[in-house]
Amino acid sequence: MSKIIVMTSGKGGVGKTTSSAAFATGLALRGFKTVVIDFDVGLRNLDLVMGCERRVVFDFINVINGEAKLNQALIKDKRVENLYILPTSQTRDKDALTKDGVDRILKELVKEFDYVICDSPAGIEKGALMALYFADHAIIVTNPEVSSVRDSDRILGVLNAKSRRAEQGMEPVTQQLLLTRYDPERVEKGEMLKVDDVLEILSINLLGVIPESQAVLRASNIGMPVILDEKSNAGQAYLDAVGRFLGEDVEHRFVKPEKKGLFNRLLRRSA
Amino acid sequence: MSIFNFFRSSAKTPATQAKERLQIVMAHERVGRSGPDYLPMLQQELLAVIAKYVDIDQNKVEVKLDRGGDCSTLEVNIELPQPDQERKPDGKPANAESKPPLKQAAAGGAALTKGGIKRR
Repeated sequence: MSKIIVMTSGKGGVGKTTSSAAFATGLALRGFKTVVIDFDVGLRNLDLVMGCERRVVFDFINVINGEAKLNQALIKDKRVENLYILPTSQTRDKDALTKDGVDRILKELVKEFDYVICDSPAGIEKGALMALYFADHAIIVTNPEVSSVRDSDRILGVLNAKSRRAEQGMEPVTQQLLLTRYDPERVEKGEMLKVDDVLEILSINLLGVIPESQAVLRASNIGMPVILDEKSNAGQAYLDAVGRFLGEDVEHRFVKPEKKGLFNRLLRRSA
Repeated sequence: MSIFNFFRSSAKTPATQAKERLQIVMAHERVGRSGPDYLPMLQQELLAVIAKYVDIDQNKVEVKLDRGGDCSTLEVNIELPQPDQERKPDGKPANAESKPPLKQAAAGGAALTKGGIKRR
């Protein structure tokens, strides 16, 4: 069973942290003991998105350096049972992440948790490499947009060459695509890459399509993982994706424009 | 798609253009990832060979690689010196016939078919 999952993308701002928070919460909602780790040393943000920023005392780097115990740094979510957050340092830099240090902490976490989600920083440098190095499974977060798709391809190349599984000749890291900020109406107009196009270009399996949604900003404003907003499209899409990750056969929703009445269509056309 | 689109010109949509551009650039990047960038070395070695016979100005050499969808073109432009400056290996001046700059275009055989990009 896959235990260590990296949420990665190469490009910044595509929704890695939003997706990490949502996915970890979703797995915990299904009863799996889950921890989500922020690997973006120096630019801590997972704590804000998860709404636990005022509860951070010790962090991931403190634990690596032996300045704190793992249990002291882990923050237990107040809304969802089985969900823990391991924030990163706001003051240190990426060099504080050592392969041995990260290995040691992950080994400890794997013993205690069903799933460890690693929220990768953008780029392909040390922080991102450390986040993906020990992964069993990678979720590639991509926007339907040229630079994001290209960077995703790059990060897939890194996963296939520089991960622990690649270096030690083990079974390769399994990979799935999470296509975020998808706008079916723009796709319909030929303005945005289709899901199938992105899948073909990256030759990767689809985990889910998260529609462009105002709920994402609303949720991050109040420090709530968007998956807890079950009424929103984005929240439902994340719930579906978690189901698919767990092997359920869930049909893809939100990939076609919503049906509009004739009146609305006429209004839009004249607008 | 509505009936209005039927009468529109059959120009490629922006999304189609994005897909094609990505397929072309990424096919090359995937190939390039596995090996070192050989262009600078190729240029040096080509120059060394030509310099054996012709006294060329290193700054008047241009190596261009044009990456297309179906085939890539390697273009090497070398400007040859005026005949009176040119010397043969035996030290005598070259013949007085004036030559245009030597142009050579070599079509790269490493053609990448559009639809069939394979991962790494």
